[in-house]
Amino acid sequence: MAGTLASALRVDLSNEERDILHDVGFDDVAERAATGVLVDSEMRFAVSNDPGVEILPLKDALKTYDFVQDLMFGLASPDANEHIALVAERMHDPLGHFIWVKPGAKVRLPVQSFTLLEMPQGRQFTHDITLIDEGAEVDMVSGSAVPSSVHKGRHISIGECYMRRGASCNAVTIEHWGTGMDVYSYGYSQMEEGAQSNSTALMMAPVAHHTSRSTLTLGADTTCVSQAIVFAAKGTERVIATETHLNGAGARSEDLARMVSAGGTIRNDAHLVGNVAGSNGFLGCDGLKLTDEGAITAIPALEAIAEGAMLSHEASVGMIDNDKLHYLMAAGMDEDAARNLIVQGFLTLDNAAIPAGLKRRVVAFIAEAKTGGM
Amino acid sequence: MLEIKKLNVAVEDKTILHEIELTLPLGELHVLLGPNGSGKSSLLATIMGLPPFQIVSGEILFDGAPIQELDLHARARLGIGLAYQRPPSLEGVSVRSFAAALDAAGRLEPEAQALDLADFLDRDMNVGFSGGEIKRWEVLKLVLQDPRLLLFDEPESGVDLEHVIAVGDAIARVVRKPDMRGRTCSGLVITHTGMILNHVKADRAHILREGRILHSGDPNALFAHIQTGGYTIPAA
Repeated sequence: MAGTLASALRVDLSNEERDILHDVGFDDVAERAATGVLVDSEMRFAVSNDPGVEILPLKDALKTYDFVQDLMFGLASPDANEHIALVAERMHDPLGHFIWVKPGAKVRLPVQSFTLLEMPQGRQFTHDITLIDEGAEVDMVSGSAVPSSVHKGRHISIGECYMRRGASCNAVTIEHWGTGMDVYSYGYSQMEEGAQSNSTALMMAPVAHHTSRSTLTLGADTTCVSQAIVFAAKGTERVIATETHLNGAGARSEDLARMVSAGGTIRNDAHLVGNVAGSNGFLGCDGLKLTDEGAITAIPALEAIAEGAMLSHEASVGMIDNDKLHYLMAAGMDEDAARNLIVQGFLTLDNAAIPAGLKRRVVAFIAEAKTGGM
Repeated sequence: MLEIKKLNVAVEDKTILHEIELTLPLGELHVLLGPNGSGKSSLLATIMGLPPFQIVSGEILFDGAPIQELDLHARARLGIGLAYQRPPSLEGVSVRSFAAALDAAGRLEPEAQALDLADFLDRDMNVGFSGGEIKRWEVLKLVLQDPRLLLFDEPESGVDLEHVIAVGDAIARVVRKPDMRGRTCSGLVITHTGMILNHVKADRAHILREGRILHSGDPNALFAHIQTGGYTIPAA
């Protein structure tokens, strides 16, 4: 079977590479149902330990399974924008992974996939396709990283995720790009009837510019909870845009963003569209500014196309509340410790379904990023 | 332990506390009585160093040394702690993480149990707490902080009768026992209902009205006088 241990792509990662990826969620391959690692412009590792999961380089998947060509650009239009067009033009040698969680598979261990850019001033264009088939259940961990020596470069990615009827997925994504990099990521997801998704994205590490756009369509009786934890140090510019379409009765979405600026800028455009009666959606955008520099812009937009679509939002942006600061200082903390605790609390992960063993690392990652330790 | 001399305090340009004279000896527990708006909370906040209260003139001495130039954090580190009347909610900051930040994680569980707050450790501070829970939490907060001068701002307000007893007993207990380094503590407790008096076993009471200390004396006698004569100076 393609993608199983017998025929897996397995080029060993160096210890340094493993360390870099560990910070963004990588774990021992034996402890994961499947592992995919892409380095610069090649898939270096694609191994599955679970018969319910297949992982292949995308170019191999296209040759192995004829349905993959229909999934590719099935959700994203190849001419949607100049970046996606750039990736689409590289179709002669597509770079990325194909993950297939088979129908009915209840995958016990998480599936992990990572992208590493090791070449300074590298240009990386990737296209990942994920198919979580009917009734399948899986946890996924994905991450992106660079060695500490790489601070300039460009990464453009497209992700297309199909969740078939009754599929279920808990996903965590952690990014740690270089401080001077430009990153553009475009994600498209389609959830069929009864599918359930709970995702957490951590965008904490300094980066020159990161645009993250995602489009999600929900079918009947689907539930999608997505949470983004976003930090912008001075010199970081982030643009986050989400578009959620509630297309089936009983579709329910919660799109939550917690944003902290320590001098950088964050713009969050969240657009929620209720296309049918009996759908329900919520947008929550909260921003905390730590200094007078930088900016946070939160723009939640609700669009109820059908009568009976229930949409709501909450948005807030502000500085740290002095009453809270003074309360902690009156208990004996210095100002930095008090600020730290308040920011840590603001960034606390709510209801995040994070695979066992990773939560402590995620909390540590948040703490390190916001104190400028990366 | 605490001496306040000729203290005048203003908020912006308005003087709200006038010529305050108050001495709280080591090991004693005093209560401040007074109507709403008399300046009781302002006095405690001034001792603690909270904004927006500005000392116009006078002195606050703690262990004989002036503290009015010290900031909030420095006063807390010296050993002054304040149980708030209406503390802010800290979403995402659990009781457990607060205790850890104070290096008091090891003491949290037994102390919380003693105040019937054992189930609160993973709750966010003051988020969704009832009136009584807030008061008990504020006492626990001071226990974790371990100050020598404990200030309580209306610890019985919003608390049902059963918990007034518990809060009063807890206050008496934490003030009357030495701090973790074996040093004697003192306490200053605001009450305008007097409900807590029977439980804290105060040594002395002060009536504060319109920003001035009108009278000081035996707590039970003063409270009995207030019930009939209001917040006035008792006849000699």
